[in-house]
Amino acid sequence: MNAAAEEVFSSEEKDILQEVMNIAFGQATAELAEVIDIFVILSVPNIKVVKGRDLPGYFINEMDGSSVVNLIEQNFLGKFSGQAMLIFPSGAEKELIKLFNQENAEGTYDVDIDTLEQETLIEVGNILIGACIGKITELLSDFVTYDPPRLVVQDLAESSPSHFPVDEDSFAISIRTVFRFEQQNVEGYLFLITKQRSIKWLKKALQSFLESFM
Amino acid sequence: MLKSLLIVDDSPVARMIIKKCLPAEHGLQIYEAGNGQEGVEQYRTHNPDLTLMDLTMPIMNGFEAVEHIRGLDPEAVIIVSTADIQEKVIQRVKDLGALYTMKKPPSKKSLTEALERGAEAFAQVQK
Amino acid sequence: MIFAQIFDTINNGLLVIDREMTVKYWNRWMAMHSGIAADEIVGTSLFSYFPELDQPHFRRNCKSVLQFGNFCYFSQRLHKYLFPMSAPGSLADSFDHMQQSCSMGPLRNKDNKVEMLYISVQDVTEVVSYQKKLVIMNHTDQLTGVYNRNYMEPHLVKEIERCRRYDHNMSLLMIDVDLFKIINDNYGHPCGDYALKTICERITSNIRKSDSLIRYGGDEFCIIMPETSEKDAYKVAETIRKSISDHPFTFADMTFNTTISIGVATLDQSTDDVESMLKKADEALYSAKQSGRNSVT
Repeated sequence: MNAAAEEVFSSEEKDILQEVMNIAFGQATAELAEVIDIFVILSVPNIKVVKGRDLPGYFINEMDGSSVVNLIEQNFLGKFSGQAMLIFPSGAEKELIKLFNQENAEGTYDVDIDTLEQETLIEVGNILIGACIGKITELLSDFVTYDPPRLVVQDLAESSPSHFPVDEDSFAISIRTVFRFEQQNVEGYLFLITKQRSIKWLKKALQSFLESFM
Repeated sequence: MLKSLLIVDDSPVARMIIKKCLPAEHGLQIYEAGNGQEGVEQYRTHNPDLTLMDLTMPIMNGFEAVEHIRGLDPEAVIIVSTADIQEKVIQRVKDLGALYTMKKPPSKKSLTEALERGAEAFAQVQK
Repeated sequence: MIFAQIFDTINNGLLVIDREMTVKYWNRWMAMHSGIAADEIVGTSLFSYFPELDQPHFRRNCKSVLQFGNFCYFSQRLHKYLFPMSAPGSLADSFDHMQQSCSMGPLRNKDNKVEMLYISVQDVTEVVSYQKKLVIMNHTDQLTGVYNRNYMEPHLVKEIERCRRYDHNMSLLMIDVDLFKIINDNYGHPCGDYALKTICERITSNIRKSDSLIRYGGDEFCIIMPETSEKDAYKVAETIRKSISDHPFTFADMTFNTTISIGVATLDQSTDDVESMLKKADEALYSAKQSGRNSVT
């Protein structure tokens, strides 16, 4: 975690948060494989606290420079609220179709390839986001509802702070994981950006998580 | 009866949770390590009866650590503790010589079971 | 009580299924549009009434809702519909099935465990019908009813790409009405409009359905002809030219003759993109005009 995290979390809270995320992403990996046959590897989540106004720069930094991407964004609402952003490098949609839509490739759907690619990205994104957030909120005894996911092809370099659900002066927690699909060589990033008002709840929920073992 | 337990996990909270879930008055000597490499060193020094091993750790991960420890002591009793309990993870860990895989987060129940099964395996080895 | 009423009166399809895909609830909207009454379907497997839903894709989404408690969406864009039902009212003439936008979400028990899932079905046929009309309007020339330039560029790009990939023939005709300004000047603009419309009708009756006629500019047209060699394109161009020059035009009580010039371009090594195709057709048209009009080059 980074310096700004010191302002928001105690060191114990940071440790609990990291462990909760480790467990959540680990369980999501296992359950995606067992339940819906998606073999995906999620890296150890990297947690940072970022000021709203610094988010655009932060993304470009984290994305290793490739700023034109397919972005699937989805708001989630519960005590744990915010925005999930799933980022695939452009071109990934072609690989994902091979992985995900074999039954569609045989002509089940009467649509052009662009639509099929876009809808595949949205479907994969929706399930990945749902799995990760579902596991986090399950561990923290919350449950959330979601907006339908939206796909935007975007140049991150041009995104402004107003794009994000966080005031410029508020803190956001960014939870980042790199995921890789095993059968196809596709990598992407998942960011969960939580609103400041979730932070208060999160601190309590982390304590309750720990106390549940006593 | 088990006398000593080595907990290998990079997360201090994870180690704390394991200790909290241990049965009251377990009487175990507990050693801790923050990554696989430390785990191997602690094993070499203390030769614990049972080792609980996380998988995802910096410097040396749990798979490598299990392999190293089993190399040092082919009869080492190791239980792996992970959230990612995919079939192939469980199989790989088994092939490396671990006793079995328990799911994270642990509970009082799952740790009681771990101590029982660990004690059984340890008794077998002692014979 | 209130919620039960909403369930049956809302203008949306709502159904609830359990982990085994057994239907637990089926609202009146579903009954009305599917023709399957609630007491028939409740207690049976959803797949026994809708076997077409029993696909990996649908099952995967159900599993993810039951496992993770997330929501899944079945867009009209991809799926057209989940439940085959007829489109309401007069829309049934243009749609085989009601177009639907569906979503699916978790229903939890007291312990917060996902026990069942709901599916909501929204009829979006009318919206889709408007979208289709808009697309058609955006691609159609108001006067003649043939395609317009908005349609041409992307269509031409796609056709060139496709024909190059499969190494097929493709030709492009560029057509200009000879001395069109004189028709307008001598007989008036309504007569000029009539001439353009009639020219389009005559051209359309001489080309295949797979060819597309586009109004390129005021009195300029263009025909994209997939699977057509240079020789065949030339033949068609000749037929079109004759269909205009050999039959007089009659508007009100005026009768007049007109002619067209046609430039032909065919996809080959050096002419392999939109720009070079258009350039070649334009040059051919120019030489047709130079050689005295009413000709094909």
